[in-house]
Amino acid sequence: MGKNRLFLAVLLAIWPAAAVWADLVVVTSPKSGIERMTREEVVYVFMGRWRQLPSGIPAQPIDSPLDSAERAQFYRQLVNKEPSDIRAYWARLVFSGGARPPVSAQSREEQMRLLASQPGAVAYMERSVVDSRVRIVFEFSASAP
Amino acid sequence: MFALENVVQPTTNGSNPTRDLNKSLFRRKRPIIAIWLAALFCPPPPAIAEPELTPSRFELSGFGTLGGVRTNSDDVEFTRDQSQHEGAKKSWTAKQDSLLGLQAYFKATESLEFVAQAVSRYGPNANYRPELMAAYARFAATPNLSIRAGRMGVEFYMLSDSRLVGYSYLTVRPPVDFFGTLPFQYVNGADFTVTAPLGDGVLKGKAFFGKSGEKAPIQDEFLNLQGNPMAGGYLDYQSGNWQWRVTAAQTKFKHELPPPVSTLRDSLDQASQLGFPTAAEAANQISLTDTTSRFYSVGGVYDQGPLQIQAMLSETRHESSIYQNSRAGYVIAGYRLGQFTPFVGYSRNRSKAKSVSSGLPDAFPPFAQINAGLAGALARTHIDQNTWSLGARWDFRRDMALKTQIDLIRGEPDSVFLYPLSNLNVFSLALDFVF
Repeated sequence: MGKNRLFLAVLLAIWPAAAVWADLVVVTSPKSGIERMTREEVVYVFMGRWRQLPSGIPAQPIDSPLDSAERAQFYRQLVNKEPSDIRAYWARLVFSGGARPPVSAQSREEQMRLLASQPGAVAYMERSVVDSRVRIVFEFSASAP
Repeated sequence: MFALENVVQPTTNGSNPTRDLNKSLFRRKRPIIAIWLAALFCPPPPAIAEPELTPSRFELSGFGTLGGVRTNSDDVEFTRDQSQHEGAKKSWTAKQDSLLGLQAYFKATESLEFVAQAVSRYGPNANYRPELMAAYARFAATPNLSIRAGRMGVEFYMLSDSRLVGYSYLTVRPPVDFFGTLPFQYVNGADFTVTAPLGDGVLKGKAFFGKSGEKAPIQDEFLNLQGNPMAGGYLDYQSGNWQWRVTAAQTKFKHELPPPVSTLRDSLDQASQLGFPTAAEAANQISLTDTTSRFYSVGGVYDQGPLQIQAMLSETRHESSIYQNSRAGYVIAGYRLGQFTPFVGYSRNRSKAKSVSSGLPDAFPPFAQINAGLAGALARTHIDQNTWSLGARWDFRRDMALKTQIDLIRGEPDSVFLYPLSNLNVFSLALDFVF
């Protein structure tokens, strides 16, 4: 407990922009054919390096809305990168004919619809909004950074 | 695919909206490209039963740089690369780094997409006429294999296909010692990419081939590169925070260098008829036609949160003696502190002279003149310089970055390529953006 509190205090001190870590989880459709993803697999899918789920289905990553706190936190936790780093990363790939960035969902509803309609859809959200329509395949809280 | 450019004629009707749009974007330059883009990528009428969740099928985006650069000398002209006709001197100029790129993307099916990209920059013709930098179709045959055909950026070195997208990298421009000697941006042809997970990482292999469609300015003349066959490939492995890439590429010349090299060759040929066959041999050795230049490089990137380091080494070998073989390398390291990322870079390029003897005796003054011309021609591309770069990138708002940079270029007295110098300081300011 004391350790966690110290961690939080340090975090708040060095990173005043984000008041609280949301408890983010990576989810897929229950039809994805997978139970778990490793951190590397999540990185590969969202950074466009390798977009196939372990079940063989083509992965389709879905970003939360541009400029959302959720999206910023996701990439900070996943690859320790700021939103502008991620934009620069995609600028290189998009304008040189590399991978395309994830589809951007405009709302929670759209995100859920995408997850329901595409078996390869992969998204991230706060644990508190997860329901039976999606399956948790990766948890930041359960993985060392 | 590219013949279309010649077939589609711009309308003479001044009220053509495409033309007007193009006018404002590209300073009254050729509207052909815009019309070509519009014709090819005009979004289809919305299908009534189209699933609402499909990501956008058509996308128009762009990138650009507003950059100013000056040096501490009026004696040499600082250029960003060999494709630029004129360089920067003591007063600020926006020519070297400013550019605007526009890209249209169309996804026809899940596995077929089209991309076209036009860039207006200060190019070989000493103007800002937009050039078609990419126009290709990509077909993803399987998740492991994709094929592209058309015009696309050259990948002679890692990152060389995104040299113009300033927003995508840390520095104001790619290290000139390393990338400056590459005169070409694109290739007309095809490439094949194979991707597969391997161990903890992802292995990617690419092979490309095609022909060049560009030219390089040499003083007031041009070296024509059009039709030069190009081929190459790389192996890329990305795992965790590391990325490694080994590249080999080559191009074969189909045209000769302009004067004074071409006149020198004529003189050598004429002298050979006076009973000096070695002179004809020398003329042949400095000939460019049907000789191959090969480019090898190895690059590595370490990217861990705020820290990024990239380094590359290259070796260039030319069959023709008119170009010196060279070895170059660079390393750039940056560390992000909030919105600011200060960086430091070091680059170096060194070439080795080749010896060619005309066999003509110096005792006869006209021959001495030819020999002096030959020595000068052989030293023409000698480079022996290094650069320290220091600067910072400021990500002050989304999709925009402000950069400043100082380059301290130090060359040996005999270093004359890309510019003769012993000591040049370059000051740069740039605003990079994407949209």
